[in-house]
Amino acid sequence: MKRHFRELSVAGALLAVLAAMAVFAPAFYQPQPLLSLATREAPTLIVACGMAFVIIARQIDISVGSQFSVCGVCAGLLAARGWPLAAVLPASVAIGALLGALNGFLVAGLGLPSIVVTLATMVTLRQGLNLVRQGEFVNLPDGVQWFGLSQTTGQWLLVGFALLVLVVLALALRHLAAGRFVYAIGSDAEAARLAGIRPQRGTFFIFVFMGALVGLAAMLNLVQSPQVQPLTGNGLELKVIAAVVVGGVAISGGRGNLWGAFAGLLLLACVAPALIHLRIEAYWEKAIQGAIILLAVVADGWRSRKAKG
Amino acid sequence: MAEIPKPKSSSASVWKDRLLSHEMILLYVLIALWVFFYFAGTTVNRRGVVVGFGTLDRQFDILRHSCEIGLLALALTPVIITGGIDLSVGSLLGLSAILFGSFWHDAGLPIPVAIALTLGVGAVAGGLNGALITQLKLPPLIVTLGTYSLFRGLAEAITRGSVTYTDFPAGFLFLGQERLLGLPAQAWLFFAVAAAIWLLVHRTTFGRSFRAIGFAPEGARYAGLPVDRRVASAYVIAGVIAALAAIIYTARLGQAKADAGTGYELFAITAVVLGGTSIFGGTGSIYGTLIGVAAIAVLKNGLACLPAVMRMNAAEEISGLLTGALLLLALTAGVLPRHWAQWRARHPARAG
Amino acid sequence: MSPALLELRRLAKSFGGARALRGVDFELRAGEVHALLGENGAGKSTLIKIVTGAHQPDSGTIAVAGTPVADLTPASARALGIACIYQQPALFPDLSVAENIALRLESGAGARRVDWRARRERAFTLLNRIGAAISPEAEVRSLSMPEQQLVEIACALGAGARIVIMDEPTASLTQKEQHLLFAVVRDLRTQGVGVIYISHRLEEILALADRVTVLRDGESVGTHPIAEIDEAKLIKLMVGREVAQIYPPSEATPGAVALALRGLGCRASGVHSVSFEVRAGEIFGLAGLVGAGRTELARILFGLTPADAGTIELGGRPIAPQSPQEAVAQGIAYVPEDRRRHGVVLDLPLAPNMTMAIHRRIFPGTWLRPRAERDLALGYIRDLAVKCTGPEALGGSLSGGNQQKVSLARWLATQPRLLILDEPTQGVDVGAKSEIHRIIRRLAKEGLAVLLISSDLPEVLGMSDRIGVMRGGTLAGTLPGGADAPTVMALALGQAA
Repeated sequence: MKRHFRELSVAGALLAVLAAMAVFAPAFYQPQPLLSLATREAPTLIVACGMAFVIIARQIDISVGSQFSVCGVCAGLLAARGWPLAAVLPASVAIGALLGALNGFLVAGLGLPSIVVTLATMVTLRQGLNLVRQGEFVNLPDGVQWFGLSQTTGQWLLVGFALLVLVVLALALRHLAAGRFVYAIGSDAEAARLAGIRPQRGTFFIFVFMGALVGLAAMLNLVQSPQVQPLTGNGLELKVIAAVVVGGVAISGGRGNLWGAFAGLLLLACVAPALIHLRIEAYWEKAIQGAIILLAVVADGWRSRKAKG
Repeated sequence: MAEIPKPKSSSASVWKDRLLSHEMILLYVLIALWVFFYFAGTTVNRRGVVVGFGTLDRQFDILRHSCEIGLLALALTPVIITGGIDLSVGSLLGLSAILFGSFWHDAGLPIPVAIALTLGVGAVAGGLNGALITQLKLPPLIVTLGTYSLFRGLAEAITRGSVTYTDFPAGFLFLGQERLLGLPAQAWLFFAVAAAIWLLVHRTTFGRSFRAIGFAPEGARYAGLPVDRRVASAYVIAGVIAALAAIIYTARLGQAKADAGTGYELFAITAVVLGGTSIFGGTGSIYGTLIGVAAIAVLKNGLACLPAVMRMNAAEEISGLLTGALLLLALTAGVLPRHWAQWRARHPARAG
Repeated sequence: MSPALLELRRLAKSFGGARALRGVDFELRAGEVHALLGENGAGKSTLIKIVTGAHQPDSGTIAVAGTPVADLTPASARALGIACIYQQPALFPDLSVAENIALRLESGAGARRVDWRARRERAFTLLNRIGAAISPEAEVRSLSMPEQQLVEIACALGAGARIVIMDEPTASLTQKEQHLLFAVVRDLRTQGVGVIYISHRLEEILALADRVTVLRDGESVGTHPIAEIDEAKLIKLMVGREVAQIYPPSEATPGAVALALRGLGCRASGVHSVSFEVRAGEIFGLAGLVGAGRTELARILFGLTPADAGTIELGGRPIAPQSPQEAVAQGIAYVPEDRRRHGVVLDLPLAPNMTMAIHRRIFPGTWLRPRAERDLALGYIRDLAVKCTGPEALGGSLSGGNQQKVSLARWLATQPRLLILDEPTQGVDVGAKSEIHRIIRRLAKEGLAVLLISSDLPEVLGMSDRIGVMRGGTLAGTLPGGADAPTVMALALGQAA
């Protein structure tokens, strides 16, 4: 109970928001808009899972937004050339993994700080994409949107798939030895080395894995519309980092889990629709999200200060 | 018996160390870039007028456009030396610009009063970062990520995403659009801030404390240094300078809007790190930051003057790409000697 | 004669240009405790890191139970039954005790399911075996240092280690925990485990070890059965010369009362009702077991954890320091125990290190004055005989003893009225140790009040004019300078003297 205080308190805040909506704006609970909201957030959820891995391992990756755009555009171009979705999906994941491997090599192989490395790859990838595409949209062939199914079925499929990924990864992080290695590396890399875990190799693979998940998320985004925008990933990194941190994953590594990150993401995702339904102007969304992040870290700060006495 | 301290090495090797320091190598790169663009980016147009990179007007233009990011980079240098980071400076620029416009337009305050108030807002915002970081012992990365959203969000909320303040008086626009004693007016302000921050970091006990804190925060506390106050002051200074950058930005463009300075923090951090300041804290210099700012500015504007790039109409993208690549290169170059030495130690036979 | 469990032949290792090991032979038999002794920099830690696979030797051979092994890695060393208990426990602070133990014991394969119940049960059994009352569910960050060390030992036991290396295991243990540890070590010995035991405390080695090998400057200067050797011989082997007189004689003539504590306490750090006086020119030794509240008392005086009860008088004036800045301003200097984290900034040159506590005085108006700073640093380098290349040398380039002198210089520069020394010679080699002792004596002679905290009992006895013994967060008694060790220990342990 005490161990999971942080995750439970975020879940509690989420429930409070949902309850408030039920009382003040029951319109929020119309199934179709809710499903659309969940579908929009499905790719974000997958990236947030990867980000939780990265942050638990005491690293950070702010290039995910750019990776997302690059994967989306590449996958879109392949699909436009007539590749079947079954082939585009692994290609997108592979491109993501490749981009992650670049980060991983620089961080784990050369020992550079991840924040600066991923800052640099973020700018490089984004500008590289702009240079090549000049902001052009990619038109997708028929049959790509919603896998050629009806919109509702497609939406259910996407949301279900994202939740499946979440559950599988959350269980792996808790019950698979490799998942525990992520915590070990983030908690104390030197101790991990002494315990026979290779932290450099682990860190490298975590970045590769992050990239692969971004590639997967880009696919989930791709099938939602008839076009791929080259700028879809802008700002994604901050959104997922915020969700993960609000969900109780410590930025200092070694602590937190995916359920918390999930709750954090839902809480932040509810802000915009909640504002609309509560008739507060939508311009407040970013400010409120910022306030939630600060509130979460301030709560952490108070708690650790109190714990120290 | 104590060994009598002597100068540790001959003056020749001291000079070699100095000439091959990170900052100096970056300076050589900067000079090379400048020379390259001077020759490759200057052309004569059909009317026989010299245009492009080599003209004095163009050089002044580069200076004018570098002031805001330059100021943010100056603001970030002390913060990064203390081992911290401030992601919120770009957002604070936006918020300050909006508030400045609002003080002048909505509250009807005279320009000087509005400027003073705006700088005050910057100090308060920086103080918020500093207080959360030092009093609650929170990681700077995540605190300023929060205020990054909060400040930008407030700017959007105040303007409802659409209001833009314009029609500032000519006297104010002079600051951003005219020349004073031959140089763009805001350049004087930029140089004054650079000199002040240089003095602060390299010539006062503040700078000394920043370094000590960056290397060993606990050690600094045990030495009786006022660690919390020093760290907080670095963030307050960063806030004030970001507000100043907002005023210059508004004066240059003649308008204040909520998206002012979006993404500037990334360029500012890039300039600082490019300039040799360690992201781990402790090591860093203001001249390094200035060279880093200049390198980014020359790269960006120089590219825009190259005929090939002008045909592609992609100066922004190419300069961004090269800035990122340059940063990666600088980082890698910084650690490669160490890795090379390790590799040689492991494979003595092969390395000869 | 039992077969050699571990045999090292002509082991050599260099770092850059520095030769850490120059062809060391070492042999560990099953069922013996083999002490490894040497000054700092003698090559002990390098030897250990090679045996545990953290470093690769440049040349030489390693044989485990008669089988030569090449390319040891941490994982393969572990598989061979080599376990190391480090001075600073190498645990994961964010994870539970059970998981910490499991991560050490389970195979490194990532693709397997974690059996949480088995992990908890194994942790419970192992902790029970060494008599440690620690919950397997507890997060390691909530444990005290000695508790963490016990977890380390449980790891080694659980690994079924044949070769257990203990690197200064008692440095942070209380007396009771030390006895528990010795019992565990003796138990390991009877089970046929070979223990390599590293310690600076000679009496411990004499009490526990079967044989001792002394390293000096990266070479072995001999292995001796413990029965054939005594403390003086060991010291001679270590330093290569006879240390005639370990502690300089007291020449102090105590003056007026410099520090007076009355009923001092601080609930957060567990210190209560401490009362004593220290006179100018007097060295007041604070003895006691680790955890008795000595460092905590120093932290109260230095404003790191302000007092919430009682009074402090310095030079007759009541003070209540709320932060180190205030304490420094009042004339209190504190040379902390953890030199590398708190004492000297390793990445800064010596000069700024030495002036760090006197910014206001040496740099009036906050402007730096490099020449004044350099002169001051040169003065202290000469005065305290700091071995360095000059005031520009980085703190990290010095040996432990010289770093300690830099730390001392920083505080002498504040011209304090009270100098608190917390374990001033811990981890310092024998030569530098006696130099530091001479410096402390000289300072007292010059009229400084010195509060000397040390876990090295002979040091407290040899250096102090009076000795305060702490137990359970308060002063258990005060003894005159000539007191003998049993009397002090009796007070510290709470037995009637």
